[in-house]
Amino acid sequence: MLVIDSIRKQFGDLVAVDSVSLSIAAGEIFGLLGPNGAGKTTTVNMCVGLLRPDRGSIAIGDTGDPTNKDVRRLVGVAPQSLAIYDEMSGRENVTFFGKMQGLRGSELKERVAWALEFVGLADRQQDKASEYSGGMKRRLNLAIAVVHKPKLLLLDEPTVGVDPQSRNAIFEHILALREMDTTIIYTTHYMEEAQRLCDRVGIMDRGNLLAIDSVDGLIETHGGASRVIATRPDGEAVEMQTDDPLAELQRLQSNGGLQTFHVERANLETVFLNLTGRALRDE
Amino acid sequence: MNEIIALAAKDLRMLLRDKAGFFFAFVFPVVYASFFGMIMSGMGGGGSSGIYVVVVDEDQTEGSAAFVRQLSDLDALNVITTGRDEAQDLVRRGKRAAMLVLPTGFGKARAEIFGNPPEVGLGIDPARAAETGMLQGILMGELFGDLQRVFTDPTAMAGQLDSTIDEVRNAEDIDPLTKTTLLTFLPALKTFMTKMPDLQNDDSNDGGEGTNNAAGFMQPKIEKIDILPQRDGPQSAYEITLAQGAVWGIMGCAAGFGISLVVERTRGTLVRLRMAPISLWQVLAGKGVACFFTTMTVGIGLFVFAAIVFGVRPHSYAMLAIALVCVSFAFVGIMMMLAVMGKTEQAAGGIGWAILVVLAMIGGGMMPLAFMPAWMQDVAVISPIKWSILAMEGAMWRAFSPTEMLTPCLVLIGIGIGCFGMGAKVFKATV
Ligand SMILES: Nc1ncnc2c1ncn2[C@@H]1O[C@H](COP(=O)(O)OP(=O)(O)O)[C@@H](O)[C@H]1O
Ligand SMILES: [Mg+2]
Repeated sequence: MLVIDSIRKQFGDLVAVDSVSLSIAAGEIFGLLGPNGAGKTTTVNMCVGLLRPDRGSIAIGDTGDPTNKDVRRLVGVAPQSLAIYDEMSGRENVTFFGKMQGLRGSELKERVAWALEFVGLADRQQDKASEYSGGMKRRLNLAIAVVHKPKLLLLDEPTVGVDPQSRNAIFEHILALREMDTTIIYTTHYMEEAQRLCDRVGIMDRGNLLAIDSVDGLIETHGGASRVIATRPDGEAVEMQTDDPLAELQRLQSNGGLQTFHVERANLETVFLNLTGRALRDE
Repeated sequence: MNEIIALAAKDLRMLLRDKAGFFFAFVFPVVYASFFGMIMSGMGGGGSSGIYVVVVDEDQTEGSAAFVRQLSDLDALNVITTGRDEAQDLVRRGKRAAMLVLPTGFGKARAEIFGNPPEVGLGIDPARAAETGMLQGILMGELFGDLQRVFTDPTAMAGQLDSTIDEVRNAEDIDPLTKTTLLTFLPALKTFMTKMPDLQNDDSNDGGEGTNNAAGFMQPKIEKIDILPQRDGPQSAYEITLAQGAVWGIMGCAAGFGISLVVERTRGTLVRLRMAPISLWQVLAGKGVACFFTTMTVGIGLFVFAAIVFGVRPHSYAMLAIALVCVSFAFVGIMMMLAVMGKTEQAAGGIGWAILVVLAMIGGGMMPLAFMPAWMQDVAVISPIKWSILAMEGAMWRAFSPTEMLTPCLVLIGIGIGCFGMGAKVFKATV
């Protein structure tokens, strides 16, 4: 569906994206995980033809170059910075951008109604977008991205500034879209989101794509040992790293006993830490 | 094309919802033209209402002077007196709606019952049908009123009869029989009138009716003199302030749409448009179409308003249409330039308005160029406002020939193309 071949983008002296290559299969949800400034948005912008890579190439579907209009028709984008007209109602927003995608007449009407229903804004569609909450605006942003039934959907940090309820709603919409055979690229700096939604995740930092794999695969390869944290009956604290936490706990139990214990399994956070030497959240 | 129309329609919808934008585009120019038009006409005409007439008293008798005073007292008229040539000139240049000529012998004719009826010359542009009818009505009323006064005032009547008796006595063209009859009847009538004043007073109503009948055979005459307007000057102050008001409204549109383009960028909707399967060129064209449509609407709306409320008529409707198209075209280009004046709404708006106000000042958008020193009039050629006003005035009252119209129109089209091209280039480079 999407093949990115060693693209690079430089702004002045700053290399925002450096020889990134990846290939995304149809129907996949691919997560691009990285802290702010990693180059996720720049990558997305190149994928939709907003920016031209300095080097490398991008091919979408069978047709190819995203600067081509017909290729862009296949792509839907929910930009990181909300892109809606506050002065217009939700419905007017979706209708207008539907027209920009070339939809007309009854097809336009149907698609607009579907998109608004899909993101759960049908009952507020006549209200001006300026009256929407942050979460509703995000959902409207998503409705506009899917109104023309794109084959490839790019969601750039779609949950930023969203209340937990809207966040859950957005997750459900994304999973529903996968059922409709939409290929999705999902960028985020929340590792929980990548872990929960994505079939595969690419870890990005400082313009480089450091690793690509399934969540389990990444943890296995780069997560390292689990951490066992326990206390002895006399109050002494024990902390250790191990590849086999169960065996380690058994050993501690038989050797002096345990008051409390918990195991921290490796996650994408530790993957990132191990890959970059820095914590994902600090950024 | 469909996309461009959809883009323009979206902008127009947003303009209608933007109260400030709507005010500057539609309300402000009307207020501007009306307010300054009122001030400027007040300076010229003393501020009183009524039809502006100029009276030429060629009779110069007490009777004619009294009639002038009578007219001056009417609320419906605003009267000045001058010589005939000057009066004709005033009407031709539209400073006065009509000229009233009281010819030699008017005073005498007015005082007589049975002599020649009084005659008044009414000089007016034949196209001014409404004013002509109104003035004829007023004049008839006043002249009939004269007769009524004569008949209801016994002493005036007596004097009237005396002069008539003298006239009959001296007349050589009346046959002797008639003369004898009149010379018997008239003194008798005089005796009757003077000896029975009470009767006269009691029956003043009957007398009044009688006068109307009597007047029937000596109907005052109003002779119409056509004065074709000489269209080399504005007909009213509104024609000057109208073009200025239009320019302010059109500047408001250009600034509004220019800023809206900046807002598309800062709010991210431009990114979304550029990701859609349309070109940046289409996006800018949509803005341009919306801007053009709005400036045309503002211009046409303002001129229709002025036509209805102030009675301002353009010298040529076709020329005015051409002028408005060219002005709108120029301002679409200016809109594009304003859109690249700043990165934020505030910056672009602030810088844009500052530039527009300066251009308006030097281009005659505030004070008409004619009132400015010569060197400033020379400087004005750099201002698109000057050319816009010139094109509109050319169609309104300067009576430009197509060749004369060509200069401002070509300049405006040049401004439109140049500014749009430059603005679009910068815009494209900075998105
Ligand atoms: N238009 C631009 N001009 C200059 N620098 C940019 C531009 N866009 C992004 N950058 C820089 O490129 C880097 C990557 O940015 P971005 O792709 O937005 O990261 P992310 O989306 O992962 O937070 C950042 O350091 C950012 O400041
Ligand atoms: Mg980003």
